[in-house]
Amino acid sequence: MKKYFKLFILLAVLLSTTSAFAQNISDMRLNEVVVTNTEGFEDDYGYRSGWIELFNTSYGTVNIAGCYLTDDPNNLTKYMIPKGDVLTQIKPRQHILFWADGIKEKGTFHLNFTLDGVKEILFVSADGRTIVDKVVLPQLDTNQSYARKVDGEGTNKQESFVYQSINKSMKAKANIDDPSVEGWVVCANPTPSTNNITLDGVSKGAQLKEVDPYGLFLTISAMLVTFLSLIILYFIFKRIGKFHIQKKSANAKEATKTVANRDKADTSGQVSAETYAAISMAMHLYKIDNEAHDFENTILTIHKESKSYSPWSSKIYTLRETPQVNKRK
Amino acid sequence: MIYEANILDNLSQFFMYTGFANVTVGHILMILIGLVFIYLAITKDWEPMLLVPIGFGIVIGNIPLFAGLQVGVYEEGSVLNILYQGVRQGWYPPLIFLGIGAMTDFSALISNPKLLLIGAAAQFGIFGAYMLALALGFAPTEAGAIGIIGGADGPTAIFLAGRLAPDLMGAIAVSAYSYMALVPVIQPPIMKLLTTEKERLIKMKAPRAVSPTEKKLFPIVGFLLTAFIVPSGIPLLGMLFFGNLIKESGVTKRLANTASGPLIDVITILIGITVGCSTQADKFLQWSSVKIFILGAFSFVIATFAGVLFVKFFNLFLKEGNKINPLIGNAGVSAVPDAARVSNNVGQEFDKTNFLLMHAMGPNVAGVIGSAVAAGILLAFLG
Repeated sequence: MKKYFKLFILLAVLLSTTSAFAQNISDMRLNEVVVTNTEGFEDDYGYRSGWIELFNTSYGTVNIAGCYLTDDPNNLTKYMIPKGDVLTQIKPRQHILFWADGIKEKGTFHLNFTLDGVKEILFVSADGRTIVDKVVLPQLDTNQSYARKVDGEGTNKQESFVYQSINKSMKAKANIDDPSVEGWVVCANPTPSTNNITLDGVSKGAQLKEVDPYGLFLTISAMLVTFLSLIILYFIFKRIGKFHIQKKSANAKEATKTVANRDKADTSGQVSAETYAAISMAMHLYKIDNEAHDFENTILTIHKESKSYSPWSSKIYTLRETPQVNKRK
Repeated sequence: MIYEANILDNLSQFFMYTGFANVTVGHILMILIGLVFIYLAITKDWEPMLLVPIGFGIVIGNIPLFAGLQVGVYEEGSVLNILYQGVRQGWYPPLIFLGIGAMTDFSALISNPKLLLIGAAAQFGIFGAYMLALALGFAPTEAGAIGIIGGADGPTAIFLAGRLAPDLMGAIAVSAYSYMALVPVIQPPIMKLLTTEKERLIKMKAPRAVSPTEKKLFPIVGFLLTAFIVPSGIPLLGMLFFGNLIKESGVTKRLANTASGPLIDVITILIGITVGCSTQADKFLQWSSVKIFILGAFSFVIATFAGVLFVKFFNLFLKEGNKINPLIGNAGVSAVPDAARVSNNVGQEFDKTNFLLMHAMGPNVAGVIGSAVAAGILLAFLG
């Protein structure tokens, strides 16, 4: 009963975790916010309003349908992101923009509140309780945005529970006692639906070519790593092999000792328990199950064994003559 | 009269759709190459499991088409294109590795683990070819993809080319498989050149019996170690060692049989035919393909040199009686089991009683691990 109870508790914990973090909602981040927008980006209707940008930090698609955006910590379910819109599936490392125009009838990405005078914004998971991300806004001028320097990175003084406790790598960065906000900046030029920081576009390969044009350093490093991997494996299996040999010889010694003792017992005229057991079993099989018989029918049945057939392994099937180069005489 | 004109018009229009109207010298040349592959496979028995599908794939891929027919391998949504995604996205190579793992017996390696180091040394072929490719003007990512030909491992070459240089995929894959088929031709002269008469006659100790526990531990320890060092190689290493675990565990015989039988056969067919198809004349017949073929040959030569020379060097530190026959150095490339068989054949040319096959299987399977590790390293540096 105790075992089943433990199992039930485990399942309950798993289910609650699953519902809270289904589809990796915890990978979503509030990424950039514009409170007053008079000259910047326009929505599909040609109007300007404040906006909130979310960013999917993961390398998998996240569906944010059913989650909430709010500006009120006492009302975490202020705006529910509608379900049934394919656009709420945020692709890996992609952004999504919500217009804070207070007219939710305009569509999925139009909030039912505006950002005038708003102090903080919260992104809440579908359970309506778990705060996934939260940002406390500073005083912003018109057309300025408050954004993460690098998309999805950086910490806020009041990062959510999820952010601090679930994502361990992020936890290392987060300093709860530190009042300063790390990784957030006020931007004069907002970057809606694009990266907050534009990388220089130089690929790893191009960078490598600059520092190692002949590939020598990469070759040396790579060979070292390859050797290191296999050397460690060599040492481990050398030890395991030695252990196995020692164990085998110990077992052999033990077996020799047992046989010697048994022989000794036989010479003393006593019959061992194993012998009695074997005789009893033979009699039982003969009498009850008719398993033992004195006559063998001498019919030999050969089962055909299927052979795995592939060029990579099959030594039999791939054994063939070595191709020879014919030399003209 | 009108009907005749219509019919003639239709026929002439239909002619424009046919291969005869669209054929180019490139198509003819590639079809001939495909036929040569099929000829070599059937008459010379050179890697028939690979060269027949690839050869026929080359023929399929080079039937002249007019654009928009939605049948070409590069036309999105076509059957061939969908099958080609397994190559392009790197799905097939790990599945092939699963089968390889389920077929491979690592006993030779476990009984004499120092043979692992030969598998590491032979990977110099990859990086030697990488440096040469850079010198020939290839970009680092392309050079990395070309270099992996030296690993003598088709699936690994396809996996890495798909990630680093998809445009060169056809040339790299065909080059890798071609040279794998030519291992018995390329390696023996180098092995003979680098070894003395005395070295070729070295008789190695018979490998000890390996316990089932050791066999079960090998894939687990091997995977944990290599994957922690080179996480980027997880798709290949994970599948290789997983395949071996289901073989050695003794409780998943059905899974092992499927992985080592029907599954690997299906994937071999798909990978062969789609790689062949990807060699469309307009994409394949380029100066870069010629360079890739030359570099591929060099990579095999370098790998063989490195493997044999490493054994000679290693022997300097080994006691008499424990020395390794340098003729198994070539098997460090992972062309399993051809390279090991070459070791055995060359060894027997000089001593009919010297059977090197089992010893050579050690570095040979170590080469599979080594090339997967090397691919992971290249992916980490260049990907």
